[in-house]
Parts: sequence; C-alpha cells; structure tokens
Amino acid sequence: MEQPVQTETWKAQSLEELVRILHKIFAEDKVSVEEVQALMESYESNPEEWLKYAKFDQYRYTRNLVDNGNGKFNLMILCWGEGHGSSIHDHTDSHCFMKILQGNLKETLFQWPEKKGNGEMTKKSERVLRDNQCAYINDSIGLHRVENISHTETAVSLHLYSPPFDTCNTFDQRTGHKHKVTMTFYSQYGERTVCATAVPQENN
Amino acid sequence: MAAAADGDSPELELPRRGPAEPELESEPEPELALAAELSARRSAEARQLVLSPRRLSGPLPAGLSQWFPALEVLDVSGTGLAEMGAELLSLPCLHTLLAKNNRLGGPGSLPKGLGQAPLARSLRVLNLSGNRFAEVPPALLRLHGLRSLSLGGNRLHSIPPDIQELRSLEFLYLGGNFITSIPPELAKLPCLKYLVLCDNKIQSIPPQLAQLHSLRSLSLHNNLLTYLPREILNLVHLEELSLRGNPLVVRFVRDLTYNPPSLQELAGRTIKTRNVPYAPSDLPETLVRYLSLASNCPNPKCGGVYFDSCVRQIKFVDFCGKYRLPLMHYLCSPECSSPYSSASQSSTSQSESDSEDEASVAAHRMQKVLLG
Repeated sequence: MEQPVQTETWKAQSLEELVRILHKIFAEDKVSVEEVQALMESYESNPEEWLKYAKFDQYRYTRNLVDNGNGKFNLMILCWGEGHGSSIHDHTDSHCFMKILQGNLKETLFQWPEKKGNGEMTKKSERVLRDNQCAYINDSIGLHRVENISHTETAVSLHLYSPPFDTCNTFDQRTGHKHKVTMTFYSQYGERTVCATAVPQENN
Repeated sequence: MAAAADGDSPELELPRRGPAEPELESEPEPELALAAELSARRSAEARQLVLSPRRLSGPLPAGLSQWFPALEVLDVSGTGLAEMGAELLSLPCLHTLLAKNNRLGGPGSLPKGLGQAPLARSLRVLNLSGNRFAEVPPALLRLHGLRSLSLGGNRLHSIPPDIQELRSLEFLYLGGNFITSIPPELAKLPCLKYLVLCDNKIQSIPPQLAQLHSLRSLSLHNNLLTYLPREILNLVHLEELSLRGNPLVVRFVRDLTYNPPSLQELAGRTIKTRNVPYAPSDLPETLVRYLSLASNCPNPKCGGVYFDSCVRQIKFVDFCGKYRLPLMHYLCSPECSSPYSSASQSSTSQSESDSEDEASVAAHRMQKVLLG
C-alpha cells in the first residue's frame, strides 16, 4: 500500500456501505492505510447490522467471515467471550485493521524476539480500545496480543486483513519461541462452518 | 419508555436492549410504577424477561410469577439489585438467571429457602459476575441442576470445598477475584468442561485437578503460579490452556532440600519393592495404612516407591513442541532422574530436557494450547 495523490474522506453509514466503499478502495492499485483506517472508524457500530455474524463460542474467541473482498482483503468479525484472548501473533506481511464494535479490547504490543534470544519478550506498549476505535498493525510495527479483559462483558471487533492470510506465527511470551498456525473461520457469511481436520489447529 | 412486547414472540423486553448497555445514572424505578407496568404487560406465554438497564429500587416485584408464569429466562443485569427477593422462588420454569453488574453479595442476596425450592433443580444457568460476593453463598451450592455458573469479577478469596455438590456443572467462571488456592474437591465435578481461574492470586494447582476428565478448556492466566503438577498432562481432552502472566519458572531448578528417609520409610520401601507379604493381622492398623500410601517413583528404571521422603524437582516438558512447562515431579531420591529427562542422571546444568516417551505421548494428546 502506498500513499495516493489524493486521500478521500469517507463516511460509511452502514456496514453494507462500508463493504461497498472498501471494494471501491481496494479496486485501485494503490491503497492508503490512513484512508482505510479513517473509513473503518467512520462506521458507527450498529448491532442490528452485524448481529448475524456475531457467533460466540463458549471456550474461545471466534472469527466470522463477512466479506472476502474479491481476494484483495478479508473482512471478518471476531467475538470475544469474557476473559477470551489471543496468543501473541504476527500478521504474515499483511496489513491488519481492528475496529471495536462492542465492548473493549486490550491490545499489547511486543517487539520481535531476537533471533538468538531465549528470554522474555519485550512489551512495547498496551492500550484499551473502546467503541468504534480502529487500530492498525503490520509486521514492521511489531507483534501484538489482543484480549477481552472484562469478566462481565463480551466484546465484538471488526477486522480487515490485506492481503488475506490463513497462517501466522504465534509466540511464547516467556521464551520468544514461535510456532506456525493455521487459522480457521467459525462462520462464513453468517453460516456456521464446521471443519473436520486431522491436523490440530489453532484458531488465531 | 418500554418497548411494546411482540405478541407472537415469547420474549418480553422492558425496554428493548442492545448488546451494549451503558451504565445509567437514572432515578431508581418507583416500585409501584414498575409493578403496575409489569402487571399491565402480563403474559402467560412470555418465556424471557429483560429488565435491564432499569434501576430497581428494591428486590424483584412481588407478583412477577403471577404475571409471567412461563418465564424461563430472567435478565436483571445492571439494575442495581442488592437482594433477589423471595419472588424468584415462585418462578416454576426458570432455567436461566442473569444478574451481573448489580449490588449483590451481602447477606440476603439470595432468597431464603433457595435450596428447597423447585428452582434448585430447574436452574441451569446463573450469572452473578460483577457483583460484590466475598464468598460463595452456601445456598448457591444447593442448585444441583446448575450447568453454568459465573462469579467473575467479584471479591472471592476462596472456593468452598462444597462446590463439589454442583454435580451437573459444566461451565465455571471465577476469573477476576482474589482467590489464593484451589480446593482439591473442585476436581470432583465430573461434567466440568470449562474452568476459568484467570486474574486471581493462585500459587499452585492441586494435582487432583487432573481428575477433571471432561475438562476442555482451562484458563489460568495472570496468577502467581511458578510451576504446574505433572498430572496436568493427564487431562486428555484439554484443548485450551492459558498460562500467560504467571511467574513460571524458566530455568531448571533443583530443590536440594532433601530430608533423608526415616527407618520406617526405609522399611516400608523394602516391603513394597521386595513384595514382602503381609496381612492386616500382622501389623498395627496405622502401619497397614502407611504401606497403602506408597507412591511410585516416576523414574521407570527405578521402580521404587516413596512415602513421605521425596525430592521435589521442577522439570521442563517440551509441551506439544511449543514451549516448556515447568512440571513438578516427586522422586524417591536425588539420584533418581525423572522419565522426562534425557539419559544422564545428574542435571546440574541447564541442559535441554527432551520430551521423552511418556511426556510426548501425553503432550500429543493435548491438541491446542493457548501460548502463555
């Protein structure tokens, strides 16, 4: 993604409109990170529009595909039960936008572990993201862990990844040791998808 | 103020609520006005009633069970409720009660006679998260039909051993309290699938927890754990385990404080390892019982037993090939090495411990792990 000559200021009035504008933006050769982030933030979360994608799992957070962006991006909704969190992970050379639709999510940024290092990973910063805020990360910025730290409220977030990816690395905070994992969707386009696989997977 | 109830649907919301509820600073609902409104909206078919985010000024209005006799789900979250009131006991079909973010926790929070009411058998889901409970109310433990219990974000300092009475429990959320230890009786919940103990002050996990055969997900992050009992590898159905934010021992630590065995212990070991026959009539009852408490040394090459005298060792198991878990072993003597270490006996160096046999088989059984 690079900076185009002119950056539009979009206002998405609905989730459908957000998807429409995203398709438009990503049809171009060059896409601006700032433009996408502003667009995502401009959409005011309306649960009636996304409730059908918000499928919660008792045990862990879920990834629910909303739109596959004609192969240019994946737009998905993540549902976090109380106390649910992710591993520390990278983003496989892709751009990651994360917008809060409901509740709060804590994002903790980590430095990449040293190649030869075998010690505790270094925390860079942490923040709590609130309603409608949109965060951005890519591999050059660092790694992060996302968690719903509330014991009483669930959280829902809208994620955009470009280009789409289905594997990433997860990291052990205490040692920096990394492990490649495959990600799966709990549902796609509002329909629950059950995949039976022999290989153990991590839903990250 | 209140949304109209849909005549066709069995659900009644007063008012219609979205998934996100801001904390309202409105005046408490005058009791009479609320009672009048509920009475006016009475329905013999309504199965769900949502009272939040109204602020209630007292307990649940009397008459609730007459106006909504078919009620199965009652949501009074965020209403400022300080006590439930006896009205709850008259709801014959209630299976789900959501009462999070209230002022419950003091004496009288739960109605008297809860244990004897039909509710004790019919209630399946109870959410009391975000309240002020400093202890698990004993009455709660009479809810033998309970499948799901949440006491997250309260002020609990301990878990009562009588938790084992909740025999049907599948889901137990105790995150965000001040719990310092786990009673072994918690392991007597045969149906428990999801156990959340994150954000507490827990220093150790009792090895008995490995008896939770149905456990699928265990959340232990943000506690004070330095190691885990090796029995944790016996949880064959465990798919998720969170351990981040614990001061888990990273370097190999050898506990050098070893109390040499007593004569009784040495004699007991000999009887056991040499299979010296004995009958209850041969020995005093205390010694018969003592002999029955022999534990096997985990070193497969040793085959020895120990009673009280053992060496605590922290060994690292390469867990599912992902990271090292410090697991506590008990060995019969400092010369014994654990099955998890490589062939060499002495381990004064921080040598890597490979996942051998037993450990790797057990590790493969655990399919997914949330990295700490």
